[in-house]
Amino acid sequence: MGSAGAERQMELSAIEFFFIFLAISILIGIVAVLGGVGGGVVFTPLMMGFTPIDSFIIRATGLLVAMAGSLVAARPFLKRGLANIRLLLLAAVPYAIFAVIGALLAGYIKETAGDTGEAIIRLALGILIIGIAVLILFGGRKVEYPDIKNVDSITERLALATSYYEQSLAKVVHYRVKRAPIGILLFCFVGLISGLFGLGAGWAMVPTLNLVMQAPLKVAAASSKVLIGIGDTAAVWPYMMDGAIFALFAVSCVIGMVIGTVIGAKIMLRIKAGFVRWLIIVIMAGAGIKLVLDGISRLGSS
Amino acid sequence: MENEHPKPPVAGVIYGNICYWIVLVGIIVAIVGMVMYFASDGYFDKEILLDGLWDGEVVEDIWADAAGVEDVPHGHWYLSASLLSNGDVVAMLGIAICCVAAVVGMWGALVGTVRSRERLYAVFALIVAVILTLSAVGIISLE
Repeated sequence: MGSAGAERQMELSAIEFFFIFLAISILIGIVAVLGGVGGGVVFTPLMMGFTPIDSFIIRATGLLVAMAGSLVAARPFLKRGLANIRLLLLAAVPYAIFAVIGALLAGYIKETAGDTGEAIIRLALGILIIGIAVLILFGGRKVEYPDIKNVDSITERLALATSYYEQSLAKVVHYRVKRAPIGILLFCFVGLISGLFGLGAGWAMVPTLNLVMQAPLKVAAASSKVLIGIGDTAAVWPYMMDGAIFALFAVSCVIGMVIGTVIGAKIMLRIKAGFVRWLIIVIMAGAGIKLVLDGISRLGSS
Repeated sequence: MENEHPKPPVAGVIYGNICYWIVLVGIIVAIVGMVMYFASDGYFDKEILLDGLWDGEVVEDIWADAAGVEDVPHGHWYLSASLLSNGDVVAMLGIAICCVAAVVGMWGALVGTVRSRERLYAVFALIVAVILTLSAVGIISLE
């Protein structure tokens, strides 16, 4: 695969292109689930780093991919009460608003900054992706059932405390959360990043919900998965209205990612996925470095 | 009873069900559209679209070269009845159906919060539903 602007030497038919990207997306879906991250955060940097497809189209498709997977996954999480709907609605307001702002900002950069804008987007995404890889590598501190002593008055008034049945413990888990105002601020940032770069943002939402707001880890993971569907829907429409989604590319990626996620979830029950975590880190670091180098070279030539 | 499963909030159940089924319908429509697209010509010339994508062309150039449209039609262009005989347009409709799932789901969640008299969360659901709707109808747009 070449770089942007390279002469096209691909002798594939449309149907071959469709099935190749379907297969690639299935693989990304499997690896992402096994590595414990969302598909979007692997899909977008990988496609931007290693295909010549325009980044605006990739970011639009990346949002679509993250959104579709998350919407399908929402039902079981909400039916079991694992995703906290109150927490979701509270976080969805800043997340959706800033995801839309991020998408509009992406469009503004595309219209006004031209090649320099493209270079800056690639550079910034590269740095972000390397940061996420480092976060996965070193920031593994997660608290399964945080012990909350005090809840601030604002969070208390929001009545976010609830309970769910934890199958592995065969009992009901009652939990509270805290620091809702800080959580809301962080969700503004998460939404902006998600809309601007076309990423699902589970990598940032889970720590926000688990480490900052102290929701149990499973609740944080399930709520973040559902939340991606809401925020990315808000962000994907402006891209879609701008004609940035092409069925030939998007349908293969969406279907592939949904299939890959389902297969990955089944495999995860049977294997130890430790090595896949390393694979994800290597893939993301590689894509990040490629994007940074690409961004720097484009900045130099623009 | 500590071992009794707590009842999940109705707003969440409504949202989850609506999203699941709408996305499923959208994906099926998109697959049917792609089958039609590969079986015959589409709105976008397949080979030119492929060339455009692989040459790293920007959206406007791809539209101009592959669909012969000089100005990208900002909006729900795939809803035009005259275009829906094309497989790729049907596939785009399928994608749009997927994208509308959370919009409808959030209005459903609003009904759920109102029914369970959670006023504050009904307000949050309303705000999110309005944002999603504005985005989906194109009032919030890059134009």
